[in-house]
Amino acid sequence: MKLWQKIFLSSLSLVIVAINVISVMLVNNSHRLLIEREQSHAINEYEFFAASVANSVIYERLKAGKIMLGETEVEQIAADAIRNLAQSHSGSALYNSSNQLVECENFDDLEALPAYGEYLSSLDVSDGNYYLKVFANGDKYLMTVFSSLTLEGKSYTAVTSSDISEIYQLRSRQTDTVRQISIITAGVISLILLISVIVLLRPLSRINIYTKAIADGNYNIRIKCRGSRELRELSENMNAMADSIESNAARLEKIAEDRQTFIANLAHEMKTPLTSILGFADLLKIKKNVSDKERSEYAGVIVEETKRLRSLSGKLMELITIGSTESEKKPVSLQKMIDETGAALTPLLNKNSVTLLCHTEEITINADEELFKSLLYNLIENAVKASLIGEQIKLDASMHGENAVISIQDNGIGMKSEDIKRVFEPFYMVDKSRSRKAGGAGLGLALCAKIAELHGASLSIESEPGRGTTVYITISGEECV
Amino acid sequence: MINILIIEDDKNIAKMIKATLSIVNYSGSCCYTGREGVEEALKGGYDLILLDIMLPEMNGFEVMEAIGSCGTPVIFLTAMQDVADKVKGLRLGAEDYIVKPFEALELLARIDVVLRRSNKTQEIIRYYDITVDISKHTITKNGSPLQLTPKEFDVLVYFLQHQDIAVSRERLLSNIWGYEFEGESRTVDIHVQQVRRKTGLQNRLITIPKLGYRLESQENK
Repeated sequence: MKLWQKIFLSSLSLVIVAINVISVMLVNNSHRLLIEREQSHAINEYEFFAASVANSVIYERLKAGKIMLGETEVEQIAADAIRNLAQSHSGSALYNSSNQLVECENFDDLEALPAYGEYLSSLDVSDGNYYLKVFANGDKYLMTVFSSLTLEGKSYTAVTSSDISEIYQLRSRQTDTVRQISIITAGVISLILLISVIVLLRPLSRINIYTKAIADGNYNIRIKCRGSRELRELSENMNAMADSIESNAARLEKIAEDRQTFIANLAHEMKTPLTSILGFADLLKIKKNVSDKERSEYAGVIVEETKRLRSLSGKLMELITIGSTESEKKPVSLQKMIDETGAALTPLLNKNSVTLLCHTEEITINADEELFKSLLYNLIENAVKASLIGEQIKLDASMHGENAVISIQDNGIGMKSEDIKRVFEPFYMVDKSRSRKAGGAGLGLALCAKIAELHGASLSIESEPGRGTTVYITISGEECV
Repeated sequence: MINILIIEDDKNIAKMIKATLSIVNYSGSCCYTGREGVEEALKGGYDLILLDIMLPEMNGFEVMEAIGSCGTPVIFLTAMQDVADKVKGLRLGAEDYIVKPFEALELLARIDVVLRRSNKTQEIIRYYDITVDISKHTITKNGSPLQLTPKEFDVLVYFLQHQDIAVSRERLLSNIWGYEFEGESRTVDIHVQQVRRKTGLQNRLITIPKLGYRLESQENK
């Protein structure tokens, strides 16, 4: 069952029950008051009746001048009196002590009722109290008053009845009216309720539609919702969710795209050396006369290109394993690592006639020594490659506030700002032919970025074409000891 | 002499292509950037251009657009295998599309097809006392005509066009009978024997064990 149906049905039934209970109570209350009034009225009538009968007996006794009248006489007189007193709207009856009917008037309806007979025989009126009872005969209601009446020393039971059907008819009429009114009221209320529930909950169905659209992959949809505050909050939260889904989806797409580019670049990088290898090997195979010069030239190219493939696969393995294997970080002196890297680079520095000037403060960091040295090696090697003969490379390691910063500065060829943005991408080469000549595959800086990330460090580059490049490694204070 | 322009940024590949072309006596000149290639191509005098797609400065497609007007046929050489790239290249007017890495003879075969289409190949080949007219489909030895079946004729022409190159049976099968042909290399042997017998080239069209056949060139008599 839907929420609006639940709200609607439960409030509607509550309203109907309340209307009915209240109106039934009101009707019953007024009925009770009327009955009470009738009761006192009936008692008055009874008293009038009893007094009249008693007076007739006394009057007849005085008229006869007797001290005591006989039972038969008394009953005769009483019966006469009853007949004389008879009124159309009320009945009366007199029973002797053994509950035998002396006389009755307008009493046929009651006499015929078995309930009346039972009540009469079980009733003991000797205490002189009034006993009131209502008997129903068909749609006729009769209020009866029973009490004892003493005539000439003998006790009788006198009964008067009055027709109160009107009161009951009134009650049933009122009940009918109340029922009609409650049905109409319920109809009106249900209409109002329905409209208000639907109006209040309409934003919910709008939210629902939007949510479905978002779930179907339209992550750029945002819910616009006016309505109660809860619904506004809900739609705001849904929007926040859609935001995060959208950004995550975009991020995943970017990753997938990067991977695609990576694989495409990798295939290209592999095919280039393979083309030379296959081509020259094929030439050696099919050519009849290959001079010694040609043979050594072809074989030289094959060896060179094979080495390129080997270095490519080595770099790739490094790139892939760096992130996945657990690196062992321990406190190590920056000075020591820089000195060792400088020593390893000496042949390359000498070959290019480039000088490396190091200035290092006493800093100890948490690092995987081999990886960090490879980071320094790669960056200094890049600086050497960019430098011209006789130039200097300056390496400076010092504390800047909480962070340790290593800067590697060359005065070489530099690069354009659009290149700086992309140099960390795998296979990106600023100058393809120059970097190929140097045996690069464009993976060095991607590797550096990964190593830096592993050490909680960041790499940044400042460069200007013709002016040189400075690379900064910023190691966060947490990694410094 | 067929003159071919090679626009390829990788020097080793360019060198390899040039060496491959030299074995069929085609001359090749190399350009290493797109711009250089366009300048060179527009100078003219080339029968064919071999064009790499990933080039510095201008990529192959841009080069293609720039030189489209000069009418020289172009074959793309590329490491990219994307069908979309292939279609783009061909739509720009390239004659063919070769995916790296490729074998030397495949490159030569494709070049021959393109050259033949643009009527740049030699129509008459002379080899010792044998003269072959490709367009007329005739062959004479010392002036008297020889009777060769069409396939035998094709085999002879292929050897004449690829002198001094070791040609495998598979290569012959795919070039003369087509890739779909499901014959055995025995078929090739029979045809080669027939060609030898009919042309009297027993000593020059030699069998190379395990590799195939080779027609010795005229110069190395």
